[in-house]
Amino acid sequence: MANVRSSHLPSSVLVIGGCGFLGRHIVSQLLEPSTSTVSVLDLRTTNNRFPGAYYYDADITSPEAVRSVYEKVKPLIIIHTASPTAIQDNASAAQKRGAKALYHKVNVEGTMNLVEQAGKIGCVKAFVYTSSASAIHDGYSDLINADERWPILRAPKQKDAYSESKGIAEELVLAANRKYGDMLTIALRPAGIFGEGDMQLIPNVLKAYQMGQTKFQLGGNENLFDFTYVGNVAYAHILAAVALMDTHALTTQPLDHEKVDGEAFLITNAQPLCFWDFARMVWAAAGDKTSPEQVWTIDKGLGLQLATVIEWLFWFAGGRTPNLTRQKVQYSCMTRYYCVNKAKKLLGYGPRWGMEEAIVRTVKWFQERDAKDGVGKQVQQ
Amino acid sequence: MVKTTDVLYYAVHVGELRNIIQWQTWHQAVHERRPEQEAPSLTICFEFLDKTSRSFSAVIQELHPELLVPITLFYLILRGLDTIEDDMTLSLDEKTPLLREFHKYTEKEGWNYKGSGPKEKDRELLVQFQNVTEEFRKVKPAYREIIKDITLKMGNGMADFCLKAEHDVNAVNTIEDYDLYCHYVAGLVGNGLTRLFVESGLANPILLERPQLQESMGLFLQKTNIIRDIKEDLDDKRRFWPKEIWSKYVDKFEDLGKPDNREAALNCSSEMVLDSLNHADQCLFYLAGLKEQSVFNFAAIPQSMAIATLDLVFRNPKIFEKNIKITKGEACRIMMQSTQNLKLVCEVFREFTRKIHKKNTPRDPNFLKISIACGKIEQFIETIYPSQDPKSIVQEPAAPVDPTSKEAKDKAAAAEAKSDLIYMLIAVFGTLFLISCVMLGIAYAFGARFDVAFSELTKGKLSKPTDAGAAQSIIHKYDHGEL
Repeated sequence: MANVRSSHLPSSVLVIGGCGFLGRHIVSQLLEPSTSTVSVLDLRTTNNRFPGAYYYDADITSPEAVRSVYEKVKPLIIIHTASPTAIQDNASAAQKRGAKALYHKVNVEGTMNLVEQAGKIGCVKAFVYTSSASAIHDGYSDLINADERWPILRAPKQKDAYSESKGIAEELVLAANRKYGDMLTIALRPAGIFGEGDMQLIPNVLKAYQMGQTKFQLGGNENLFDFTYVGNVAYAHILAAVALMDTHALTTQPLDHEKVDGEAFLITNAQPLCFWDFARMVWAAAGDKTSPEQVWTIDKGLGLQLATVIEWLFWFAGGRTPNLTRQKVQYSCMTRYYCVNKAKKLLGYGPRWGMEEAIVRTVKWFQERDAKDGVGKQVQQ
Repeated sequence: MVKTTDVLYYAVHVGELRNIIQWQTWHQAVHERRPEQEAPSLTICFEFLDKTSRSFSAVIQELHPELLVPITLFYLILRGLDTIEDDMTLSLDEKTPLLREFHKYTEKEGWNYKGSGPKEKDRELLVQFQNVTEEFRKVKPAYREIIKDITLKMGNGMADFCLKAEHDVNAVNTIEDYDLYCHYVAGLVGNGLTRLFVESGLANPILLERPQLQESMGLFLQKTNIIRDIKEDLDDKRRFWPKEIWSKYVDKFEDLGKPDNREAALNCSSEMVLDSLNHADQCLFYLAGLKEQSVFNFAAIPQSMAIATLDLVFRNPKIFEKNIKITKGEACRIMMQSTQNLKLVCEVFREFTRKIHKKNTPRDPNFLKISIACGKIEQFIETIYPSQDPKSIVQEPAAPVDPTSKEAKDKAAAAEAKSDLIYMLIAVFGTLFLISCVMLGIAYAFGARFDVAFSELTKGKLSKPTDAGAAQSIIHKYDHGEL
């Protein structure tokens, strides 16, 4: 599929975090027939390299390192998608505290540094930031058809440190709009990203299949959930960059309801589906043959009680975190989906890959990778 | 007439019986006909309406007086047209001119048609069609023009389809053909009714600018009926399911009815349900444009019945065995819910969408698409009736919590409940522990050999020895060492 939009982009795009899960998809789409020069800044640039892109190693929290890369690349457009991986919920308390400090350092301070240096160097016209849809979700309650009118949450309402740091960083980026000369900023909030190279969502779902857990289901499976294919998220970033460049070309400032600069946009596949349907489709794509009659449904209340007892037993037995936790029960029983009409209307966004195609190609990618290096066996053990 | 099977059914399904009684007792027509002021020919028209339609007759007769007669006649005219199209005894040369010219006959004084086959159930309507034409000429010219325009378009569409069917047994080849056929027989009705509603001032004129919504209103009903009637159509050798869909599952259309192909046929019916389900959200959108209660009821009841029917036919092997339909009790409940407001109609849609979703299986190739279609309907309902309000999620300041506030009290109550739970658990496990100790103590006092039992267990012997001699020898082993 040729990407018509990326060819509109002028030269010199810098993708920060371009070797990461989302970043590499952005780089790959930018490199689809286009006239722009694509550069990548990342902490380590050994993985996920594409021929045709230029790679620079730098720590985004260091002003000197960032400035030196900016001076070499002279970017017109910056797409900032770097972020530490959110830790899994089975991490220990000490790990969680450490992670919180790391999130603040990279997501908040790192982002601030990137924006400030970009403003100072003067050549940057567009700054696109990858925020997160979880910035408006407390990680616990139901979120039903939420759109950009929902507020960014802070502690104590925001219970997740990662989400909070993304929300703070987003506000910093958007506040910098038109603050440094004519540099425009925009933020995208993808929800539940999955796809080739995914480290969290699909590996966890596939692990449940390999461990033979497909016959269990927590909750009644009436909770709609948004999952978003990484290719679509990458595509939205390119649309956002194009929209900012188009705004530059305007002779007057856009009207409030047409404005894209200084704005945040939720990005999903626009196909919310019930939580377990996504898992079942992934399992079916991986070869699972379970039919609904065979599934044991454990309702949410019982699931929470079971998880409580199991968590206690594990705690008695030495503090490890079990496979079934209250947080997991909560997560698989909650409703969380968004309305992406703003991105559709103002950015011209629409998913390039439908959910079915996205799941099938993602599972295929994982199976091919596992077949190549035998990781599948390790997971099973 | 009450059938014995019905009596038995409702003796068990008391809730449904209650629905029927409630509907019959409490339902009040928004508007009522005034039979005493009607001309004899109009009375005959209403009699035909009763005879030809069981589902539409009641709702039509409750319509606003402005539209009562035009829509009754609109229905009878289309029914006449349909009777000619369906008639297998008519030759193509006889049929097609009749279909194409039918709009002209609607106003012709004394026109009727006696050529229908003797088995056509609505033959009598055409034989006495002069009553319809007589009344139709009294209708306001603006309404008449709309009805004639739709009759002309539908007649031509049906004639084209009959010609095509003559040359190709798969007249409905592609999904596009299927949509076009449904457009002629149902989408056009949606368009005609919308124009009548707007012309009479009983609906929002913006509906005229949304042809897609009008189309969906017709297509959702028609496509659902086409799925439900598969058995009848298989028997009568009619094909409305598009080849583009069924050929993915079976080689020949007739194979859909064979018991050996049940699984493939079911998956095929799922794709048909999916195709129909994709119109559901647009139907709700359309209904939001109707203001007058009787018009709303008239439009909403068939749509609610359609979503309930779609649930009934979804993954139901019986559709290939017999003609199935919603029970009367269920129908009465749906009618009660569909004659009030859009919110309740949305509830009906949500209920049946969830039922469809529950039956969806990953073994079906359409699994994910159906799941997404169900999600789309739920999300649409949320956009018109949001259950969350962003304004209510204000950031609370980190100020000290007022101990008398409800939240603080709730928090205290929750904390108390938690400590209660902990004490309960301690009490339960403590008691169990104590009882276990007492039991083990008693067993020990009576001479139980835990040392023997334990070490035998560690050797993997889980059951007790089969005879007393074996048990004795084991005990000996422990008391005297290995012999």
